[in-house]
Amino acid sequence: MSMLTVQDLQKSFGKFEAVKGVSFTVEKGESFGLLGPNGAGKSTMINMITGLYPPTSGEIHMKDIDVIKSPKQAQKWIGVVPQEIALYQSMSARENLRFWGRMYDLSGNSLEKSIDQVLEIIGLTERAKDKVETFSGGMKRRVNIGAAILHKPELLIMDEPTVGIDPQSRNHILETVKRLNSEGMTIIYTSHYMEEVEYLCERIGIVDYGQLIASGTLRELRESIGDHSRIFLTIEKDHLSEEKLTKSLLGFFPEKNFELQDHQVMVFHKEPQLILSDFIQLVTQTGTKITSVNIVEPNLESVFLHLTGRKLRD
Amino acid sequence: MLKIWTIISIRLKEFFKSPGSLVLMFVMPALFSWIFGGIAVNSEQSKPLVNIVLKGDSKVNTEIVKLLKKDDHFEWKMESRSQAEKNVAEQDALAAVVLPADIGERVRVKKPIFDVIVQRKSEDYLALSGFLEGTAALVVQSYQATLQFEDEAFPQVLAAITTSKGVTVEKQMIQKDTNNLVEINLLFVGFAIMFMMFGLSGAASTILDERIGGTWGRMMVSPASKLQISLGYLLAYFCMGWIQLAVLMTTMNLLFSTTWGKLLYFIPFASLVILCVVGFGLMIAGIVKTKQQASAISAVLIVSTCMLGGVYWPIDVVPEVMQKIALAVPQTWAMAGFKEIISGSLHTGTLMKDLAALLGFTILFMFVGFRGIKFE
Ligand SMILES: Nc1ncnc2c1ncn2[C@@H]1O[C@H](COP(=O)(O)OP(=O)(O)OP(=O)(O)O)[C@@H](O)[C@H]1O
Ligand SMILES: [Mg+2]
Repeated sequence: MSMLTVQDLQKSFGKFEAVKGVSFTVEKGESFGLLGPNGAGKSTMINMITGLYPPTSGEIHMKDIDVIKSPKQAQKWIGVVPQEIALYQSMSARENLRFWGRMYDLSGNSLEKSIDQVLEIIGLTERAKDKVETFSGGMKRRVNIGAAILHKPELLIMDEPTVGIDPQSRNHILETVKRLNSEGMTIIYTSHYMEEVEYLCERIGIVDYGQLIASGTLRELRESIGDHSRIFLTIEKDHLSEEKLTKSLLGFFPEKNFELQDHQVMVFHKEPQLILSDFIQLVTQTGTKITSVNIVEPNLESVFLHLTGRKLRD
Repeated sequence: MLKIWTIISIRLKEFFKSPGSLVLMFVMPALFSWIFGGIAVNSEQSKPLVNIVLKGDSKVNTEIVKLLKKDDHFEWKMESRSQAEKNVAEQDALAAVVLPADIGERVRVKKPIFDVIVQRKSEDYLALSGFLEGTAALVVQSYQATLQFEDEAFPQVLAAITTSKGVTVEKQMIQKDTNNLVEINLLFVGFAIMFMMFGLSGAASTILDERIGGTWGRMMVSPASKLQISLGYLLAYFCMGWIQLAVLMTTMNLLFSTTWGKLLYFIPFASLVILCVVGFGLMIAGIVKTKQQASAISAVLIVSTCMLGGVYWPIDVVPEVMQKIALAVPQTWAMAGFKEIISGSLHTGTLMKDLAALLGFTILFMFVGFRGIKFE
């Protein structure tokens, strides 16, 4: 039985369709990433899965529970890290954890033990007694995560948990999540940082304009775009005779697997090393001056770019 | 159960940590009561009217009237029997004292000297009846003492008593229960209600902040049910209301040695009033979007309805039309009920009416409130 099955999930806010029929499955023990730009509809999907928003249509099942019909049953198994920090600012970290622990049916000794463990994990044992409002953004984020793992959920859903955190805290968080996953916790992780998703997630869904435009393992996704690397050529504009350059590029790449933008030529190619010298020569021959050459191995960014023609983040 | 309690305790903690609400709930009403209470105590308030009905025009009765008028806590006015009865029935007069034509006959057949017409046995009336009993005893003693002398002796003795200081002792005895204390106590209760409305609608509007802050959403996706969450918030605000009222009552008690009537009546009635105020706060929180809107709307609503509802001044001083309109605000019923309880008259019919009206308002407010508050 799958941990989570989402079928034809759809959500409209008034006339605006934020999620347009999304289906995916997450198996037990898996870590599944939802990658997409701002406004893609990731949070809306998450909010439906956690039972916050009722979907306009579609089905969500957690194990054999219908989440839409009986959300309270499923919510016991789920830990949610909301995108926005959701804590009582005038309470201490420990008081916050205690409050949220009780909301998840923990109490007494086991609650206090759980709190101590979580404080250790999020590295805030020392600051446990301080009010959350005195914390830095990163520390608040960590408490925000801590509150979701107190009850050792089977499914941990994290909505961009690392926004606005310094790289060090971020790594710490990513490692923690990875460890929880390796200990058997199923993870759903949304982000618009492809590195995070690449590092954490075995399977990835790419979301754009409310749709799941691709999903699979990192390798599968790469292969889906033909495992193409990208060659970036930065050129000097003064010498640029755009027409001439386009013409000779078209001669060299008849399948039009290149793009010309201001100061940059970008080429998709499976084996960039093979064509690199010819390519450079060609560009130079048109009288264009090259200032830098860069080869990028295929990654999620290129998958996204390939699928949508846009960058993940501008 | 644990979840409900957890929500209550975090609400109370947050509440008592915010200085603004503490000022609103405790300092302001205490200050207002102290200032206005002080003024009210010092100023000559209107005294309760007592009618005197003379059955015969004897010298003795003239002296007795003088004797009665020595108690200046009441306003004494001669009336015909029928007019006096009407006054009492319409509550224009506290009571009417009927002086018999022949006192001697009353004493002989061992009947009370004064007949008293009364509608409600309020605390004012208790003070009056104490005074009347004392006076009656004096009259009887004087009568018996002068039995063997000539007829003139009896009124002369009474006149002597009137001019002597004997009666002042009585006055001091009843000083504590003077009429205007009820009005002052009502003023305190009124201020408590108004600031409770401010305090609790402010507290309830933190739900809006919580929604923006995300803790509301987080609670919604926890296993806590809507019922548990609703009960948690409801009871938390109820507790806040009671804590405020209890503190104010105690403070006023210490400052002005005020009394609050029978607690057996006061506590359940106050509970309903508090619940109604909580409902009011939830309703405001349910119909607006931001805390700013909530505080603006509630300020306007609270002050205007409190004016209408006789919180700042007794409702019977406003025109008839206003009194009719005032029936549409809960404060009117709350104040009416508190008046019954604090004055000690405890008229069951009136109390029941007040309770029913308040219950209606409470249910209406809660209904609108919980429908408006989005559980998502
Ligand atoms: N409550 C709402 N009412 C109206 N529109 C909404 C609501 N919530 C989200 N939307 C709209 O739905 C779209 C998807 O929003 P969503 O928050 O799901 O995006 P996201 O992928 O999480 O973006 P981000 O990376 O910025 O968090 C956006 O266009 C947003 O404006
Ligand atoms: Mg989002």
